[in-house]
Amino acid sequence: MNLTYFLFFICIIVCTLIITYWAAKRSNTTNRFYTAAGSLTGYQNGMAIAGDFISAASFLGIVGMIALNGYDGFLYSIGFLVSYIVVLFLVAEPVHRLGKYSLGDVICSRFPSDRMRWIMAIGAFSISILYMIPQLVASGYLLRLLLDIDYSISVLVIGGLMTIYVVFGGMVATSWVQIVKTVVLMSGTFLLSLIVFSNFNWNVSALIEKVKGGTPLGENFFLPGHLFNNPLEFFSLQLALVLGTAGLPHILIRLFTVRNTLEVRRSIISSTWIIGLFYIMTLVLGLGTVALLGYQSLTNADPTGNLAAPLLAKEVGGDFLLAFVSAIAFTTIVAVVAGLVISATTAFSHDIYHHILKKGKSTEKEQLKAARWTALIIGLVSTLFALRLETINVTFLVSMTFIVAAASNFPVLVLTIYWKRFTQVGAITGMISGLVASLVLVVLGPHIMNPEDGWIAREAIISLHNPGIIAIPIGFLGAYLGTIFSSKQSQSDESYTRFFIKSQTGISSRRESS
Amino acid sequence: MEERMMYFIRRRNKLLVPIIILVFLFYFMLPLSLIFLPDVMNQTSFIPGITWAWLYAFLQIPMTWTVGWIYHIKAKKFDEQIEKWEREESV
Repeated sequence: MNLTYFLFFICIIVCTLIITYWAAKRSNTTNRFYTAAGSLTGYQNGMAIAGDFISAASFLGIVGMIALNGYDGFLYSIGFLVSYIVVLFLVAEPVHRLGKYSLGDVICSRFPSDRMRWIMAIGAFSISILYMIPQLVASGYLLRLLLDIDYSISVLVIGGLMTIYVVFGGMVATSWVQIVKTVVLMSGTFLLSLIVFSNFNWNVSALIEKVKGGTPLGENFFLPGHLFNNPLEFFSLQLALVLGTAGLPHILIRLFTVRNTLEVRRSIISSTWIIGLFYIMTLVLGLGTVALLGYQSLTNADPTGNLAAPLLAKEVGGDFLLAFVSAIAFTTIVAVVAGLVISATTAFSHDIYHHILKKGKSTEKEQLKAARWTALIIGLVSTLFALRLETINVTFLVSMTFIVAAASNFPVLVLTIYWKRFTQVGAITGMISGLVASLVLVVLGPHIMNPEDGWIAREAIISLHNPGIIAIPIGFLGAYLGTIFSSKQSQSDESYTRFFIKSQTGISSRRESS
Repeated sequence: MEERMMYFIRRRNKLLVPIIILVFLFYFMLPLSLIFLPDVMNQTSFIPGITWAWLYAFLQIPMTWTVGWIYHIKAKKFDEQIEKWEREESV
């Protein structure tokens, strides 16, 4: 590793550790540890949400996908972005009003029971871990490719950092690392986009002409259908993308970090601006890569296209810019995995330890201690898993996370808030059917069953790589059938009305707290 | 009190429900039009050099921002209504 790279990395590590040190002094209560005591402003939280959401797969993967497949790569971004409207309209404000630290709190505010909390905790925990492992594995590969650092060392550094942020700094450190990541990521991609345009004298037509010459697809590069040629697969993916975010626990728990619903709305709306602008810039970077580097150079370096942004940086700005972009990728990964660690920690230490094992009677000190230990164990175990999975392809887990979230958490959240007749049995069957359907469909699909390089060397039973179109309706159906076949619960219409009014206006909570 | 609250919520939802339905329609019409009308989508739109497919995909971004802004305005008004009503109740 040369000195420029080293300085960039040290700079980021030192900055984030200073943030953690500052945050550690402020994370002395459970409220601060889990939610930063609602101290963030809407705009800060919007930046943190963007930092939590834009993974290395978005930054590097989408630029690469656009560079290789043109139009279809861009469609991924659209699904990710529009999903925030679903969050804003359907779940954001109710989640903030009904919950305290976790999604379990939200659902249990209507269906209070240990069983319900177990299910919600298992759902949140498994989604966070399923998402974290591929991020860690990808980080190992990425740093190896970019900096020639050994896979194990890369995973250990990233795993170690994410654990330190959460164990010592809790949500305060995690939020500020994510905010710093958003600032660095947005300024870096903006700078790179400007350099791309300047290479073509700010003439978009010249850039487009050069793109046509740089790709084997030629004129067809700008036409749809190079990545998604199976209509059902395409529609299924778009469905999972647009509904998935509203079920992602690590995004939804960020809604507890602001003090009121006005700030919740500001959080979501500012995150849509950041994410929207970011995806426009990834389009410029994708086109710039093809125009300036060409398809062949890109695929020679890495056939998946994931190195598009770093290679483009090297082409237009030499080693210095490459070091900067690599540092951005590094920050991107640590910010996302830290968000996932705190989400998994909350599910375990708040829902399972505090509410179920201790019956909600553990002291403030015990809760905080449990949270820190949980974060430490989750960080260590995930890092160990990622170290062991070096040779196994786990990238499918990323798309699976969206499917699981859209098929389990999303239906249960929406039906709990808006369906009067919904019952606890329905919520449990909905969660279980969504989770199980997603897992089974992925196992029976081409990610796992593949005669060439699958874990099971056989033809796939389900041909879809993204089985959201089957799994999501199963999640809803499970919730519906569980409800209509269970006896009407003791909860009266009146108590649902009170719950609904609280979820929509926050009125009873205000009365209770006053 | 509850009837009054439900009245406010229903009035707000009368506007928000059609908007979210339109958002879903606008969003899912993109993949559907690419699947079922590829020839039309590959024709140049009214903006020279931009096909309908690109234009439609791009429009999803300002659509998201605009709908978010509309929600924000409506929700602010709703909050004010509720606060006003609460003040009246407490007098």
